[in-house]
Amino acid sequence: MDLLLQQICNGLVIGSTYAVVALGFALAFSVLRVVHFAHPDIFMVGMFSGLVAANYWPGLGLIIAIAAGAAGAGALGYFAERTIIGPLRGRDILTTLIGTLGLSIVLQNGMALLVGPDPVAYPTLVPARFIDIGPVMLTLRQIVNLGLSALLLVLVSVFVRFTRTGRAARAIAERPDVAAAFGVDVARICQITIVFASTLAGVAAVSVGSLYGSASAFVGLLYGLKAFTCMLVAGNRHIEGVVAVAIGLGIIEALVTGYVSSSMKDAAAFVVLIAVLYVRPNGMFGSYAT
Amino acid sequence: MTALLEIEDLALSYGAVPAVDGVSLAIEPGELRVILGANGAGKTTIIKAILGLKRPRRGTIRYDGEHDLAALKPHQIHALGIAWVPEGRQLWHTMTVFDNLRMGAFQSKDHAAVARRIEEMFVRFPRLRERRDQLAGSLSGGEQQMVAIARALVSGPRLLLMDEPSLGLAPIVVRDVFALAREINDMGIAILMVEQNARQALKVADAAYLLETGHIVDQGPADEIARRDSVKAVFLGGAA
Repeated sequence: MDLLLQQICNGLVIGSTYAVVALGFALAFSVLRVVHFAHPDIFMVGMFSGLVAANYWPGLGLIIAIAAGAAGAGALGYFAERTIIGPLRGRDILTTLIGTLGLSIVLQNGMALLVGPDPVAYPTLVPARFIDIGPVMLTLRQIVNLGLSALLLVLVSVFVRFTRTGRAARAIAERPDVAAAFGVDVARICQITIVFASTLAGVAAVSVGSLYGSASAFVGLLYGLKAFTCMLVAGNRHIEGVVAVAIGLGIIEALVTGYVSSSMKDAAAFVVLIAVLYVRPNGMFGSYAT
Repeated sequence: MTALLEIEDLALSYGAVPAVDGVSLAIEPGELRVILGANGAGKTTIIKAILGLKRPRRGTIRYDGEHDLAALKPHQIHALGIAWVPEGRQLWHTMTVFDNLRMGAFQSKDHAAVARRIEEMFVRFPRLRERRDQLAGSLSGGEQQMVAIARALVSGPRLLLMDEPSLGLAPIVVRDVFALAREINDMGIAILMVEQNARQALKVADAAYLLETGHIVDQGPADEIARRDSVKAVFLGGAA
């Protein structure tokens, strides 16, 4: 029973990070109609931005690392939108897919060229401390990760639901032509959406670097594949749906790790996700028409 | 009087297929003109060209004597006072009625004016006030058409483009929609309407154009067009 609760909590921690990355995919896909394969690598660049800043100003720790992660990823998102996504948007979906895939490869290998292909140690941003919460025990880093992810998810929800820009983004997601004809500057909203999603991914990335104590040029592959699958399984229409699926995925992984073997966790998770898609090809909670 | 909208020698195509070829038309401030034509004649394509949603291959679209709409983006065109009632309503089904109306004046900085116009719409269409917080997708066809028209009016446009407002509505609602178009026009808003329902449209329009496979084949005052054989030919086929 304790193992069950413990693993559910562990799953919640990592699932919340999948959720943040998955929402970036979902925003890019629903608002821009773009499969943004460079998004996980923007996450990776955010992770290294935080690493560099934390090493440069060691005293400031978590705060400066988060700020740098957000700034690095946000700036890269802006650059990606201006140079690749924006100019290609509106063409065939494969065109932007190839464009962002190209950027992804450049970012991964560019970073590998800079820091080497192997994982590097992440600076200590949060003390290594264990905290008992009833029958479960979490590390302070896990709690920080969960707290930050929750904050980011709330920000997405507030953006989409309650801001004027978020309303415009929803209008574009459902009917891009009508939104444009009623005064929405579609190009501008698309830009804001990508920068917003990138910034959040940067914050999540710093938190994950701190959680596992390492960063790698290829970390995006792992998070990207999982987050992308979460978006497909949930559908891109409801952000709560994406979050629920991402957290579910984290929990399945943790349970398989706890009760079977950690080498089985990815296989088990993907079997479940594929099974869901088999039954609901448009996602569990529906998708915008493309 | 200078024309509010003046289209000259407009040509558009979808890939290699010409949709509109050499269309010229004009509408003066406060007028209600209708473009009649069968399915596939190119009516919606003309509307999309005016809105900036489809780039012309040839020709000019002048607005208010000075603006070349073909060089502007859709949101800039909307800011000039051109609003749209799209074919099949095209509401944001996942938004509430109120949010649909708000989105109609997305660019407006004058929030008081927008709030006032939304209130006017609720007075004009009491049903919409009842449905204010419901998702637009849950409304009936007639109610959705009211939202589509109200959404177009909250920005206070000078020119309203109505694309087949009678499409898919019950006959009794169709009559209301045409009466409403007349009413809006009487408020001084120019209307360019595109329709297949020639009989009803000609009753409310000042002038009409007949469009056949991308060409204007006849034009004139609505009451004259209503008596000509060309209008039958356009819908029944055969030479005009």
